[in-house]
Amino acid sequence: MNVAAERTPLLRVEGLSAGYGEMLALREASLEIYPAEIVALVGSNGAGKTTLLRALSRVVRSTGRIVFNGHDLDVLTPDEVFGLGLVQVPEGRQLFDRMTVQDNLLMGAYRRDDKAAVLRDLDRMYAMFPRLKERTRQLAGSLSGGEQQMCAMARALMAAPVLMMVDEMSLGLAPVVVEQLMGVLDAIRDEGVTVLLVEQDVQLALSTADRGYVLETGRIVHSGPASELIDDPAVRQAYLGL
Amino acid sequence: MTPLRLALALAVVAVLAALPWFGSDLIIQFGINTLLLAVLAQGWNIIGGYTGYASFGNSVFYGLGSYGVAIAMVQWHLPFGVGLVFGVLLAVLFACTLGAAVLRLKGHYFAIATLALGQVMTAIVSNIPLAGQNIGLVLPPLNNDRLFYELSLGLLVLATLTIFWLTRSRFGFGLIAIRENEEGAAVMGVNTTLYKVLAFALSGLFSALAGGIHAYWITFLDPESAFDISLNVKMIIMAVFGGPGTILGPIVGAFSLSAISEFLSSEVTNLAGLFFGIVIVGAIVLMPRGLADIVRNVPKSGWRYFRQNIRAHRL
Repeated sequence: MNVAAERTPLLRVEGLSAGYGEMLALREASLEIYPAEIVALVGSNGAGKTTLLRALSRVVRSTGRIVFNGHDLDVLTPDEVFGLGLVQVPEGRQLFDRMTVQDNLLMGAYRRDDKAAVLRDLDRMYAMFPRLKERTRQLAGSLSGGEQQMCAMARALMAAPVLMMVDEMSLGLAPVVVEQLMGVLDAIRDEGVTVLLVEQDVQLALSTADRGYVLETGRIVHSGPASELIDDPAVRQAYLGL
Repeated sequence: MTPLRLALALAVVAVLAALPWFGSDLIIQFGINTLLLAVLAQGWNIIGGYTGYASFGNSVFYGLGSYGVAIAMVQWHLPFGVGLVFGVLLAVLFACTLGAAVLRLKGHYFAIATLALGQVMTAIVSNIPLAGQNIGLVLPPLNNDRLFYELSLGLLVLATLTIFWLTRSRFGFGLIAIRENEEGAAVMGVNTTLYKVLAFALSGLFSALAGGIHAYWITFLDPESAFDISLNVKMIIMAVFGGPGTILGPIVGAFSLSAISEFLSSEVTNLAGLFFGIVIVGAIVLMPRGLADIVRNVPKSGWRYFRQNIRAHRL
């Protein structure tokens, strides 16, 4: 997998530190993400995963460098970052509960002006998630947990993301649904969308991802191809209980 | 909008516009009051109904609009129009500076923070010589109720057209997204802080214009009446009664509640306050989402609609 070394990264993070007040939740983290790969960011509770995502979305202030697609993100606001194609599927889904599934998806295309392409993407989403197609007029709040996660992912995809960051996708979902969603991530990666998968379920994340980073108390402690990480004795002992 | 609805709306506006030429003085005065209340309810609708921030600070905008006109006309001898612009500037400035701070609060906390603004403004204005301190200002009288009526009607039409534009603009969708799930809206690239402040300012603009017209019409204002919190309660009740987050709901709410209140206070003078209270309580229990929601749901589900609402209150 040394193709990575020859390409320019889509996202480069160097010495990123961020936190809340005096407390640093993330210290000197560095990582690189290349186009059209799935990168897993794993670690236990409180390791700093969500803080890293929030720093990338510019919701929390940080020091260090973040370069995305040639743009320095440090000086940008959250909506400008979104405009560059860095889109989040937030933890807890954050759907518009009292709007229909269709309106939720259209909200994803909120910043897009290309009407015809938006409608085409809507059809694509319904092809990708047939369950949502059966429920276009249903209120998003009345969907099951798995369907809500599909809706949140479809909404993010409607924004035509370059890099999609998925936060704790598997939380509270049945294994069969999780498997289905992982299949979707594979499919969109093959269409050229890069995915940053943030997960507590280390086994699950590393078995789907191409590469992985392990966060521990705010520092990146391991990184490499996912298949190697999953066999790394230190990772196995700390996270997989093996 | 269908041609039929457009024709209907134009006919209603035409009838309302013609009213001062065949109505009595009493009707015209009632009309001015009601139209201005409807403007205030529509202004509140932008921040409270569409954005989901129940503001108790709109009476501050109203007061600033009043004082803008009064100070410009009395102290600086400028024309009424300039006063209106000055009042709007004050209100928008206030909305942008304080909005940036208080709009970080949500739900009850936002309501409480804005509730305090009216009290603070009363205290501040009472100590400003330019604003006549706690004695107030007396404006040059203009005995032309027809003009005030038509101005108020024009303002209501303008406010309603603005809300109509909101419901089909990207900005309006952003506001609705904020109301439904603010975090979700932020994740989907809505600049929530900017949008909330703009909605607050837009809401303030209409409240200030209403205040300015009212001040010139009444020709007198003092801090207590200019920043009266009960006026803010009134506009909320009217917007919620009619249907918050709808284009015509607040107008229907303002017209119907003003009529009920006027009728009660002239027919059953000493019990009027009590009856008005009963009307409000009944409305909240039976139709918590306003008249607009009744129009939408009662034909479909009939009496069941009211039963469901009563049950939702766990009475």
